[in-house]
Amino acid sequence: MARRLKDWLEVRIGLDDLIRTQLTEYRVPNTINLLSTLGFVVLAGYIIQVVSGIFLLIYYVPHPEHAFRSVQSIMSSVPYGWLFRQIHVVGSNLLIAALILHMLTVFLMGNYKRPREMTWISGAVLLLLALVFGLSGYLLPWSQLSYWATTVATSFPTAFPFFGDFVTKVLRGGENVSGITLGRFFALHIAILPPIFLSLMVFHIFLVRRIGISATPFGVEDEEKRPLAQYIKKTYPDGNPFYPYFFQKEMLMVMVYCTVMFFIITFMPTLFLPEAANTPADPFKTPAHIGPEWYFLAQYQMLRLIPNKFLGISLQIILVGLFLSWPFLDTYKEKNLRKRPVLRGIFLLLLAIWVVLMFWGR
Amino acid sequence: MRHLFILLMMLFTLPSIASGGWREEMEKAFMSAPWAGGQGESDVCIECHSSEMMKPAFLAVVDEWKTSWHFQNNISCHDCHGGDPKDSAIAMSPQRGFLGTPKYLQVPEFCGKCHIGILKNYLESGHGKALKASGKGPNCVTCHGAHNIQKANIDIINEQRCSKCHSYERAKIMKQALFLTEKKIGELESSFGRLKKQGVFTEEGERTLFSTQAEFRTLFHTVDVSLVKERSDDFTRKLSLIEKEIQDTFVELRFRKNFSTFMMLLFAGMSVVTLLLLKTPRD
Amino acid sequence: MKRRKFLKAVLAIFGLTSLVSFAYPLLRFLAPPSGEARIKKLVIEKVEVPIGGSKNIVFNDMPAIVINTPERGLIAFSRVCTHLGCLIEYEKDKHQLLCPCHAGTYDLEGNVVSGPPPKPLPRLPLKVEGENIVIG
Repeated sequence: MARRLKDWLEVRIGLDDLIRTQLTEYRVPNTINLLSTLGFVVLAGYIIQVVSGIFLLIYYVPHPEHAFRSVQSIMSSVPYGWLFRQIHVVGSNLLIAALILHMLTVFLMGNYKRPREMTWISGAVLLLLALVFGLSGYLLPWSQLSYWATTVATSFPTAFPFFGDFVTKVLRGGENVSGITLGRFFALHIAILPPIFLSLMVFHIFLVRRIGISATPFGVEDEEKRPLAQYIKKTYPDGNPFYPYFFQKEMLMVMVYCTVMFFIITFMPTLFLPEAANTPADPFKTPAHIGPEWYFLAQYQMLRLIPNKFLGISLQIILVGLFLSWPFLDTYKEKNLRKRPVLRGIFLLLLAIWVVLMFWGR
Repeated sequence: MRHLFILLMMLFTLPSIASGGWREEMEKAFMSAPWAGGQGESDVCIECHSSEMMKPAFLAVVDEWKTSWHFQNNISCHDCHGGDPKDSAIAMSPQRGFLGTPKYLQVPEFCGKCHIGILKNYLESGHGKALKASGKGPNCVTCHGAHNIQKANIDIINEQRCSKCHSYERAKIMKQALFLTEKKIGELESSFGRLKKQGVFTEEGERTLFSTQAEFRTLFHTVDVSLVKERSDDFTRKLSLIEKEIQDTFVELRFRKNFSTFMMLLFAGMSVVTLLLLKTPRD
Repeated sequence: MKRRKFLKAVLAIFGLTSLVSFAYPLLRFLAPPSGEARIKKLVIEKVEVPIGGSKNIVFNDMPAIVINTPERGLIAFSRVCTHLGCLIEYEKDKHQLLCPCHAGTYDLEGNVVSGPPPKPLPRLPLKVEGENIVIG
């Protein structure tokens, strides 16, 4: 039966050739490790978010008078609604964690260097988009947590002297966070960001395949240092076939990702849903402690430390700029971090600062 | 290029280290603008009554109020005493409805402005009738205090307080009549607390509980033991219904935990098997 | 080789089980709500609510009240005060709804006149059919 289906497809799209070139004869270096699968884990995580999000969309009502109630109804009356909501909430945080991990490992292995600058930049933009996803999604349950965290987050542009207030007004659709804000954040979250994210992801994956997957620093070194005079796709004739070798590794990491997700859902179901998340939004009552999600905490704390609003925000923007353009700042050909103590030191210092700021910001 | 980068990094870390402590400033800068919603509204009553020129007796009032259940629910001076909390010039003017300190006999009506159900029952009770007839008897402040009013609980009825006018025996009988229902109310409140900790939205159940408990405690103010005993069954029934809903919720939470444990074990199992498959050589 | 086959079989079983464990909840999630969600109507007789008077009823486990007002005819409200949930009472002479807990007052439209309630009192749909009043 399967044989007949394969033959039917073969005479139409050349299935065998497709399988050969894309899966079984596409070879990956022998030195490839589990960390290289993180990109695929992010893809899987994104798909999980989309699917769980679509199911939630069936019952969610994006109006300030009904939003909170619809989410509570999903949690308590819709059969297994809690399952999809928890998957979506825990998944969103795990996705961003996986994204950050993926970025860190790419950085550590020096895989942002030529000829892979575009891959890094598209990846960096994807990270920023994921953060916007998180920010816009956070408002949708219309709880105290949602409302006030969004109020704080959308007040940051006001630090800019001329257009700051205008930007905040556009973000909020008015002076304060209101139903109008909910409308635009909802549109952003379900309709504007997904196609942009998806197309950028397709571009990113295309680049990875087209340029050729990189060997880790402990692999083939000379190849990476050749002058970039012409396009040569990076291939590994002695490497292992992508399918099933690397695919299995990718699957393993996806299973681990799902295990972690369900571990959190089972043993720490309120980790991302504190009491303020279960209280309906009240524009007249500011809760005692407002804070953004963990992935914004370091930046938030940094802003709190720098005495001048404008300086604080500008610094953040400069840092983001540096982050995006990093492949053009670090053009050293040497990829092996072991041979670059200065960069290693700076990287560790920055990572330590980020972690410290994050915990300080709690 | 690298040097520029290092320089920029130092530029950002040094001010951060040097200016720890600007947190409150920063919060004020971002939080006090109109978008923050009614934050830190000034209350002139509090301002004067907690300043140094106020006499000690009145100073204590603000501190007492801050420990009260009224304070927790955003009830402040003008809600009971009238007056204008925004304008210090006419804050205590009769034009703004300022009532001042109520006289002993006027206290029930003073509190009864809001607590009408209780006022009604109190006036019909032995306590209320005694006060109106002879000027002697307990008013609201006798049992609940004036400014450090706490959430009502059964131990407000105690020997020290209730034997001022008559023997404690009567009060003891009443306390016993209330006891079981009050105990149940307490248990349900803590069950709701546990549910909340597990992330459940309990507002609706808590409302029903509040309504039942408020009705029960309002009834108490008739200090009519036979009436309380007669109506207790009714209240117990209502409380049992709430209890059943809470129990059902706990059962549901247990099911959810079991289900997600099962899913977690499935995925863990699949991870292990995939790992073993990876390690097993193909031939 | 046998080991691989065994492991693959185990993986297939786990995989199938996970698929079913998602498919079943999904089906339940998507299925239309059961009959319990349908609101039952309540019927009372017109004579039970004299003009100027009111009657306390229970509508779908919620305490409610039907009022026969001289100006607006028959109207029905939920009795649950939007402040903390106490049951409101009808004040005939003042044409107002009053909550005994903290003196929350509503007018005959359900709007808050004074006191702590944050939201108006929900109205219930009411129809007069012949000699009966149908709520819901």
